[in-house]
Amino acid sequence: MTTLDHTEPDMVPITEMAIEPVHLERITQTKLVGESSLQTQVSADRRAETNAIAATVLAYQKLGFELLPCELSAPDWWKPRKNPDGTMIDEWGRILSHDTKCRTWVPTGSIFTSSEDFERFPLADPDAPGRMFAIEEMRRRIGDEMALGGFIRDSFACAWEMFKINDFVRWLYEKPSFLQRVIENVTDFNVEIIKQIADAKADFILSGGDYAEKKGPLVPPKFFKDVVFPNLRRQVEVAHRAGLKFIKHSDGNLNPILDDLAKIVDGLHSLDPSAGMDIGDVKRRYGDRLVLIGNVSVDNLCRKTEKEIIEETKGCLRKAAPGGGYILSSSNSWYTDAKLENCLAMVDAGRKYGRYPIHD
Amino acid sequence: MSNPLGEIEHAFRDVSGVDQMRRYVEMALAEKTQPSEIITSMRKGLSAAGTKYEQGEYFLSELVMSGIMARELSEMLKPYLRRDETQSLARIVIGTVKGDLHDIGKNLVSTMLSSAGFDVQDLGVDVPPEKFVEIVKREKPRVVAMSCLLTVAMDAMKNVMDRLKESGFRSEVKVLVGGRPITSDFAEQIGADGYGVDAIEAASVAKGVLTR
Repeated sequence: MTTLDHTEPDMVPITEMAIEPVHLERITQTKLVGESSLQTQVSADRRAETNAIAATVLAYQKLGFELLPCELSAPDWWKPRKNPDGTMIDEWGRILSHDTKCRTWVPTGSIFTSSEDFERFPLADPDAPGRMFAIEEMRRRIGDEMALGGFIRDSFACAWEMFKINDFVRWLYEKPSFLQRVIENVTDFNVEIIKQIADAKADFILSGGDYAEKKGPLVPPKFFKDVVFPNLRRQVEVAHRAGLKFIKHSDGNLNPILDDLAKIVDGLHSLDPSAGMDIGDVKRRYGDRLVLIGNVSVDNLCRKTEKEIIEETKGCLRKAAPGGGYILSSSNSWYTDAKLENCLAMVDAGRKYGRYPIHD
Repeated sequence: MSNPLGEIEHAFRDVSGVDQMRRYVEMALAEKTQPSEIITSMRKGLSAAGTKYEQGEYFLSELVMSGIMARELSEMLKPYLRRDETQSLARIVIGTVKGDLHDIGKNLVSTMLSSAGFDVQDLGVDVPPEKFVEIVKREKPRVVAMSCLLTVAMDAMKNVMDRLKESGFRSEVKVLVGGRPITSDFAEQIGADGYGVDAIEAASVAKGVLTR
């Protein structure tokens, strides 16, 4: 929390947005059961969820992480709609396919083929009981040992994923007020959820979902300025009123919208080096107000050697840690294809070279 | 208004949306303009929009919209095209490789290749190596294009290359690769014939490999 408050701690804190099942099992020597997704809720099986929570908490404790992000739970009554082709439909109308290698569900389609479909679709109820199951359970297990984060889905990203990309883009041209309303609907949901996350005694919000791809923002910066950011600001203000810090995650090249984004949120996660995000440059431009999290390349965690990862980690620490405001992390999550030895080398390097004072 | 061809080009360059483009195409057709001229105007406009995307002036949504407009225009012209005018540059088979379910990039490349005049056969996502080989055997495309977003799926691209070699069909097709983690070094490493950093480049690389 010292780092999130922009004060220099004694060590650079370390965390991961998520660790995929295969690594959780190796780190904890336990077997995970049940369904999982890094992007949405896929099960309300509390037994399986408790098993996953226990493994996640144990892994983060073993790794000595200082922050623990936690997904929302599905409502108590919720059951996924399974399709005959093996896909399932989540609460937002996204069609999910099972990635058998990673053992997680990922959005690959949408049930909406027209804006009228959406009008008929019942919106998710933020007050449905059970959504704070995992966050409350994690807080109970970790006490004050780690900063606890509640994971929400960014309202723009949620809308982007709810519709097929061609439909979203076409409506951006032909029905912009419809898209604006969808984003506002998701924001309304998130605002209520943020209040519940605060009541569950979390410390920060981590807002997932991408704003950008490799070359730049997914939609023109004007749409961010006019529609996305006012909705983001609403969520951040609610979080701040409740005493929560607000971290925005996004992969991709955010540079064209970073001036505005840096004025809204407290922290930025990912700093995707494959999209040209230069953490040193971001630190110089926004380091006085934005906590930076990430930048160790997920691609390199898969392909490079431990020695190379140590050098990369040292580079991130050197560029982003001086003066505080940096949390060491990969540029997304520990994916199945990452070499666990590399991930652990990143953590070890963080412990070895992340002790303050750090100079660039 | 007497230059619908110029307006069509501008509609694509400025990504003005489907309705405006349709109006100009209808005008051009009413003036008995040759469909091939309309397609040429579209390609000029698309190329200008692609350049703006590559230079950071346009964003992904504009690139996607220009693809939507191109598909609509192709549909509008279908009844007017003679058989010889519908002939493509070459057949390309495209797919996201085994282990990866992502399709946004692959779909964009597919649209840009179609707009550039290729006959594109899209195999979808999570395509196993044997499926690529089977299609090469059966359909005899000139080019195979592979996409992935996940690093874990990069090995699947190499598997496709190996299977093509083992089956004796490698020399029959050119192979292109692309996707978030792909680099020109990786393309070279696995012996691909070309690599496109984005959908715009993919179309020009595809034309390039056919002339080699």
